[in-house]
Amino acid sequence: MPDQVCCVCGDPASSKIGERWFCEKHYQSATRERTHTWRSSILLVVGLVVFVGIVYGLDLLIKPAFTPTELILAGLLLALVPAFIWMAFFYLQDRLEPEPKGYILGVFLLGAILASAVGIPLVDNLFHVSNWIYADTATTILGSILVVGFIQEFLKYAVVRYSIYLSAEFDEATDGVIYATAAGLGYATVLNLQYVIANGGVALGSSVIRMVVVALAQASFAGITGYFLGRAKFEHKPWWWMPIGISLAAVCNGLFNWLRGLLVQRGISLTGASTNPWLGLVLAAIVALISMGLILWLIRRNIHTALAEK
Amino acid sequence: MSATTLPSKNNSLGQRFADWAVIVVTLVGLLAGWLIKNSVENRSIPFTNSGISAQIPQGWLMTSAQGNEILHVTDPLSSGFGTTYTIEIMPVASEATVDQVVTQLTLQRGQTLTAYRVLEQQKVTVFGRAAYEIGYVYVESNPNLTHNQIPNIVRGLDYIFLNGDHAIVAAYWVDEKAFDSDLGRFHRFLNSLKF
Repeated sequence: MPDQVCCVCGDPASSKIGERWFCEKHYQSATRERTHTWRSSILLVVGLVVFVGIVYGLDLLIKPAFTPTELILAGLLLALVPAFIWMAFFYLQDRLEPEPKGYILGVFLLGAILASAVGIPLVDNLFHVSNWIYADTATTILGSILVVGFIQEFLKYAVVRYSIYLSAEFDEATDGVIYATAAGLGYATVLNLQYVIANGGVALGSSVIRMVVVALAQASFAGITGYFLGRAKFEHKPWWWMPIGISLAAVCNGLFNWLRGLLVQRGISLTGASTNPWLGLVLAAIVALISMGLILWLIRRNIHTALAEK
Repeated sequence: MSATTLPSKNNSLGQRFADWAVIVVTLVGLLAGWLIKNSVENRSIPFTNSGISAQIPQGWLMTSAQGNEILHVTDPLSSGFGTTYTIEIMPVASEATVDQVVTQLTLQRGQTLTAYRVLEQQKVTVFGRAAYEIGYVYVESNPNLTHNQIPNIVRGLDYIFLNGDHAIVAAYWVDEKAFDSDLGRFHRFLNSLKF
């Protein structure tokens, strides 16, 4: 009987990363660079921006006259599109070692269920966030981080940690990012569905921007949590590692919400409030590219370090 | 030879500790958020008029008082119907009973509020003072016929305090969905009422 066993499958281990032992197969997957993850992330951002452009352009050109029911149906369809775009790009790219479709879909649905059953009721019905969070700038920032940020990021963390995390399919650090992104998109989809239903349908042009901003933001901050989860599984990390990860994601989430509010709300005049949702989209796209790029660069660096140590 | 457990299948002590640490940090964050919420909702500014003083919520919009009202403030951030507090001074005959004042106020509300219905009424003690409580509901609708919003269902609470030749009526109007959640703040307002 060998002294050490693989931390993923339990087979005899031959290599180690940090304090964790791996069999040859899982050592290979743990140290493999998944370049497609970069490409799917960039394609997600580009694809979503193109999607916004198409819907916005069609809305301007055709000026469709929908009945209230059709508006709700169109809104519901739009709310689902960002998740479909991500999954489509992900599977086109992820041919080398595809993650099980059922697991990705399951994590996505769990994210959606927890958002609907826990996240939204906590934010809206227990904390009544909209009633006090805009009192002043400090309250907006702190409330966005401590209430909205922590609730959303904890739930996305919980979805991955208490489902796929202990599975043998979670066999490399990048999987943390992939599954957490799926959970984040599930959460975003429910937020968008709620927005459509609460407003009894939405104007296609402006609402598609909002939906894509929500999807990009939720996916990006979930990616941060996923990075910390991935490293926590394959390296011996101190007890404060994961709390730091959740807190960082919550802070980014809260600051993004505050900054987006500042950018989107141009001002209030006697004729009404004017907004510019495009600036929110630009911010979300930049944040998504930077956060995903940074996370994947960090994972790549860790792999190189592990290989160099071997 | 040493037996090594599988980190992927079993939660090590360190992993369990980290899981609890995440839960604790999240709860601490939410608790801090709750304290900020309470602090924002409890911010108040003093109000004094006609010998009546109270602490009204900070940041609320003070609109022009109508009729016998001396105070009319509305929360600009509440969704649906804006939560409103009013204080009204009703002149009454010195020998008037509280039942007569209640009847007079009920008739007045019935004439001015759409679909006004009394839900309950009773004698109560409000922070050591004898008062009469009337709970009711009415419909608030924009009078503009081209306005395409569904009217709001509003819950109301009136507290009537007899004070010599006048009655002081402190009223709480709120969207029916927010009645319970906003009630605590109104009680703090009532507690601050001095005359």
